[in-house]
Amino acid sequence: MKKNSKLSSLYMGIIFFLMYMPVAVVIIFSFNESKLPVRFTGFSLKWYQELLGDSAMIEALGNSLILGVASCLVSAVIGTLGAVGLSRIHWKTKSALEYVSILPLMIPEIILGMVLMAFFYLLNIPFGMLTLLLGHTVFCVPYILMEVKARLAGMDPSLEEAARDLGAGSFRAFWDITLPLIMPAVVSGSLLAFAMSMDDVVISIFVNGPRISTLPVKVYTQLKTGVTPEINALCTLMLVFTLGVLAVYSLAVWLLKRKNRLFSIKEK
Amino acid sequence: MSRTKTKKHSSSVWMILPLYFFTLVFVAGPLIYMVALSFAQPGSGSAVEWNLTLENYRKILDPVYLQTFRESFQLALTSTVIICILGYPFGYFMAKMSESWKKKAMLLLMLPFWINSLIRLYGWIIILQNRGILNHVLKALGIIDKPLKLLYSYPAIVVGMVYVLLPFMILSVYSSAEKLDWSLVEAARDLGAGKAKAFWTVSFKLTLPGLLSGVILTFIPSMGLFFIADILGGNKIVLVGSLIQEQMTRGSNWPFAAALAVVLMILTSLMIGLYRKITNVKELEGIG
Amino acid sequence: MKKSTVIALCAALSVTAAAVPVSADSDKELVLFTWENMFPQEVLDGFEEETGIKIVYSNFDTDETMYEKLSMAKGGDYDVVIADDYIIENVVQAGLAEKLDQSKLTGFENINPLYQGQFYDPNNEYTVPYGAGIPLIVYDPEMVDIEIKGYADLWDPSLEDSIALVANYRVINGITNLMLGKSMNEEDVESIKETGEKLLELAPNVRLIQDDNTQNALLNGEASVGFLYTSQVTAALAEYPELEVVYPEEGLGFGIMGMFIPSQAPNKEVAYQFMDYILQPEVAAQCTDFIGYYSTNKAADELVNPDLVVPDSVKKGEIVQNVSAEAEEQYNKNWTEFKAACD
Repeated sequence: MKKNSKLSSLYMGIIFFLMYMPVAVVIIFSFNESKLPVRFTGFSLKWYQELLGDSAMIEALGNSLILGVASCLVSAVIGTLGAVGLSRIHWKTKSALEYVSILPLMIPEIILGMVLMAFFYLLNIPFGMLTLLLGHTVFCVPYILMEVKARLAGMDPSLEEAARDLGAGSFRAFWDITLPLIMPAVVSGSLLAFAMSMDDVVISIFVNGPRISTLPVKVYTQLKTGVTPEINALCTLMLVFTLGVLAVYSLAVWLLKRKNRLFSIKEK
Repeated sequence: MSRTKTKKHSSSVWMILPLYFFTLVFVAGPLIYMVALSFAQPGSGSAVEWNLTLENYRKILDPVYLQTFRESFQLALTSTVIICILGYPFGYFMAKMSESWKKKAMLLLMLPFWINSLIRLYGWIIILQNRGILNHVLKALGIIDKPLKLLYSYPAIVVGMVYVLLPFMILSVYSSAEKLDWSLVEAARDLGAGKAKAFWTVSFKLTLPGLLSGVILTFIPSMGLFFIADILGGNKIVLVGSLIQEQMTRGSNWPFAAALAVVLMILTSLMIGLYRKITNVKELEGIG
Repeated sequence: MKKSTVIALCAALSVTAAAVPVSADSDKELVLFTWENMFPQEVLDGFEEETGIKIVYSNFDTDETMYEKLSMAKGGDYDVVIADDYIIENVVQAGLAEKLDQSKLTGFENINPLYQGQFYDPNNEYTVPYGAGIPLIVYDPEMVDIEIKGYADLWDPSLEDSIALVANYRVINGITNLMLGKSMNEEDVESIKETGEKLLELAPNVRLIQDDNTQNALLNGEASVGFLYTSQVTAALAEYPELEVVYPEEGLGFGIMGMFIPSQAPNKEVAYQFMDYILQPEVAAQCTDFIGYYSTNKAADELVNPDLVVPDSVKKGEIVQNVSAEAEEQYNKNWTEFKAACD
């Protein structure tokens, strides 16, 4: 496989820079003295102070994270199995099923939110984390379905066939052969689904319960009085935290590798 | 051979069941309700009278609403084309990276998603506004005298759309390109094809499914992401999504909103279907 | 991702989910339902300290969403709701609001009578006002050459591409009505169509339409004139006191945010406690100053930012009321056409 030329690396660098420009702005303005994002009037940590005292916001963040991970896991299972299954079976209703599964992407959130709410009400499902999870899964499944399907297309089916011929059950063949091959698609689809879940406002408002608040809803409903930089502080902290966790993880891996190398050298 | 084939069919059914069940109950159900709603009449407040009528669909033929559809499609098309042009190479190059770099790139790509897209768009306002960063830089470089009025315009909306949706395209292309069998490309080169030809006939064709799913994942939302038009466009372009939003809220006319949504759904499906036909992707999909 | 990682994640998730505390004792809880950031943290903390009752703060983005959720809950789920006047009319008519027992509200006399007896609650049986707003014109005298005295001046050609408007279709239609000498709540469809024609003429002057943080456009120089909600006027003046505020000569429109208790509220006693707490002058003043709307609590008037007490000269204004469905539809159409004409 050819490595990337200097030009393509430069290209990627430029795109990354453009992607992170607004992110940098968000971080910088989390330290803004003024409540309004109009001008940078001075350096201040007061929004961070406010954030740490805002237990409701932190609880909302926790809820959103749990919801995000849960919905992306559930939709990963449904979507991955579904995509693989779709490529295996040849029922007449196959394309209809596929189409309907992706429809949530094509419907404006406010309608989807409203009909989901009405529907859950009809089925007498209690509103809360469960309905949030179901609602989020509805719009998350299409992402994973599409990603895995794209990956499966043109993939060599003979590998799994060979496993089946050798006597493996369909589950073994899936788990040991197919799944590792489609894993990058499952992961990227799940990441997209997670991002969509963390961003969702409209559907969440309609299907949540009175006691559950999610982060994007808390931010978005500051309409009457305006969004304060407290949310900038929150976003910055989340980024720092994520990077921190990853740094620790990489460090641990690197240390482990070093230890193994030293160990093998010692043995010699 | 035939025995193993039928064995494969029946025992793969379990895979499809969760999707079938979930879709039938939680997607088809609410959707049927939505379609039914589009034939109803608005009552007082947000109540609905179930006197079936085509009135809502007839209303859509009013020029101002048709214009809304037209402008939404135009915007979606423009954004999607730009996203394809910018995103495809990125996804492709990303797939060619070394393993460790791939992970880093994936991480860098997804990290901004931690920040709510709304907040990131506010960041763009600070960059694009009259006294914003971009104007400052251009002025400092002597390129312009007076600040450019960048915000609250059509280009600003496109920038926002591309910004929010680009990662979707990149990831789709990447996951498709990542499994590309590079030996096929090499074989083409060995047979005498130039770099470009090898790319178009082999790599591009094989990554088409990724491009397609990327198009679907960007075109469809771009029809609905009206908040980008609100924030960066100053609400001056009326998109179908914002129309529906208004009809559902202040307008209190759910049947009309539902009719708009049904039409949107149908038109979007047609566009996607058309795209698939043109690129002949069907041939590459669904092969066992 | 390795399979073991996936399994570990699932396990972690189930443990975390199990650890999330289920809602405890509802006797010690108040479920509040309104926009986010409607109270300063000190006020909420103060209530919790004083009474030992935990506040669960639930949010909605629009009045209509609130109405839908309340209807679906049949008047239950929430203890105290704060929303706009026009939707409260619907709430009361649908029987979803509780008739207030005024004996439980010691601070009831603190309410400024100016904000009582309105269309949505003519006998003051269901609501306690929380704040009032009068959208006003605000402009930067440095960037504007003409003197703006009323709505009509907004149509002046010198203001091309300079105005920031709030995204409220009734209010914007309404000020056009006022400018044409009509009522804010004009119901005749033909007349409303004429209003729409006049409104289209404003399109070239519009720089942006935005419902939240509209004042930022004025403050960062994107627009030189703004038509803003009260909280935005307050925020703009705080940042840039040299801005000119105009009480348009053709007349004013105003709106009230009302606090009410849903008919099936889980804990009405706690709801009364909260309402009473908010009616105390010191608390009311803190709230008013925080949200930047006009004070509706007479006893708190001397404690608040003087800009937030409605001046005597502007006591006459028309409250924006619900109108007939046909009128609504035409107002909506005007609005969509107006927005489409702006570009």
